[in-house]
Amino acid sequence: MTDSQWPRFEVFLQDREGHSHRNVGTVHASDSELALQNARDVFVRRPSCQSLWVVPATAIYALTKQEIRENAGLSADDSEQQPKNADLDVKSYLVFQKRNQRRTMSYVEYVGRVDAATPGQAMAGAITAFDDPSSTVWWVCPASVVARSTVDDVESMFTPATEKAYRMPQHYRIIQQMLEAKSRLLGKADIEQDA
Amino acid sequence: MDDLNKETHTAIAHYLTALADDELVLAHRDSEWTGHAPILEEDIAFSNIAQDEMGHALLWYNQLSGLTGLDPDRLVFFREASEFRNVQMVELPKGDWAFTILRQYLFDAYELVQLKWLERSPLPILADPAAKIRREEIYHFRHTGAWTQRLGMGTGESNRRMQRALDELWPFAGQLFSRNESTWPLVIAGTIPDPVDQWSEWQTLVVPFLTGSGLKLPGEINSIAAERTHHTDHLSDLLLDLQEVARSDPEASW
Repeated sequence: MTDSQWPRFEVFLQDREGHSHRNVGTVHASDSELALQNARDVFVRRPSCQSLWVVPATAIYALTKQEIRENAGLSADDSEQQPKNADLDVKSYLVFQKRNQRRTMSYVEYVGRVDAATPGQAMAGAITAFDDPSSTVWWVCPASVVARSTVDDVESMFTPATEKAYRMPQHYRIIQQMLEAKSRLLGKADIEQDA
Repeated sequence: MDDLNKETHTAIAHYLTALADDELVLAHRDSEWTGHAPILEEDIAFSNIAQDEMGHALLWYNQLSGLTGLDPDRLVFFREASEFRNVQMVELPKGDWAFTILRQYLFDAYELVQLKWLERSPLPILADPAAKIRREEIYHFRHTGAWTQRLGMGTGESNRRMQRALDELWPFAGQLFSRNESTWPLVIAGTIPDPVDQWSEWQTLVVPFLTGSGLKLPGEINSIAAERTHHTDHLSDLLLDLQEVARSDPEASW
């Protein structure tokens, strides 16, 4: 492996209580603690945020609707890949879906959990349990690999960004400033004629 | 604030100036990494820290302005080096990444200890900004602490560079905790913390963490003994950079 990059982590952001965590992008980091911090610095400059999750990209099993159709024989029972007498612990898996084509700044969102012993079983379970016809992408990952920000972190990690009005485009009132500059240059009478 | 006697008034003005100048000079050094940090995410993270520190400087300059009527822009862009009250630690050049991280870590720890006290100062001019600044410093400290651990316990090279940084920076730490003649009345009045108490609190915080990160504390420390108005040549170099544009047209409005 000659990749000189740090491992990649997918970032999920919850902007408000009651909203689902949405995938907003990725960060590279040496480990989950720095991934959480990098996620905050890269993705929580302007939007409001209540909670952040980061997941190592290698722990995510992703399938699109098209891939499922193309591999029509997707089997829930891939136990032939496992040792015959293996004691497979059933684990909790998080399920994310893309249902909405209109959202531009986020990809999949958290929809719920399934229990499974392998990623393959988890995916099969997810497709069955979350079978909304508008779904186009499914991601599953073990709940145990998710690193999360805590409620105690909100004050120091997320609240400060909400107070920095100068980071918001609206703060600069561009259109109003342009109109004022224009009226200074051309004279107010001309503007009133244009309007 | 009108009922303050002249000595107290000057003491508070000096204290606010020191708080603001520390943040300003450190913010400038931090900002020198923008575009040059070791990894893209860290470039953003550290630029955020620099921006936060600049915001803190502005909060303190605004408090100073309320007290003295002095304009923050004039203070920042038109004072000479000898009028600045920052500690020498923050004016040192940025060095390598290990030096920057360790300097930031040691200073963040100092700020946390100081702000925890100032939040409860009976003087609102000090207490009000302290609470807001402390929230952000908690995150800075978490960030630089994480990096200090990882570099300290990373590779042979990262540990060597961190150790060299610690050896270089430790003598400058003492200046953060030295008593000043002009602000001493505020300590007596119970409005600012005694730097000597803060020194031991700070050591309790950083010493175990540094040794736990694979670093050795320097043995005998020859602390620099200097008033905050005594600076290295590095400050005038920094101010040349910082003040160049404003001084090129002192009457311009920005």
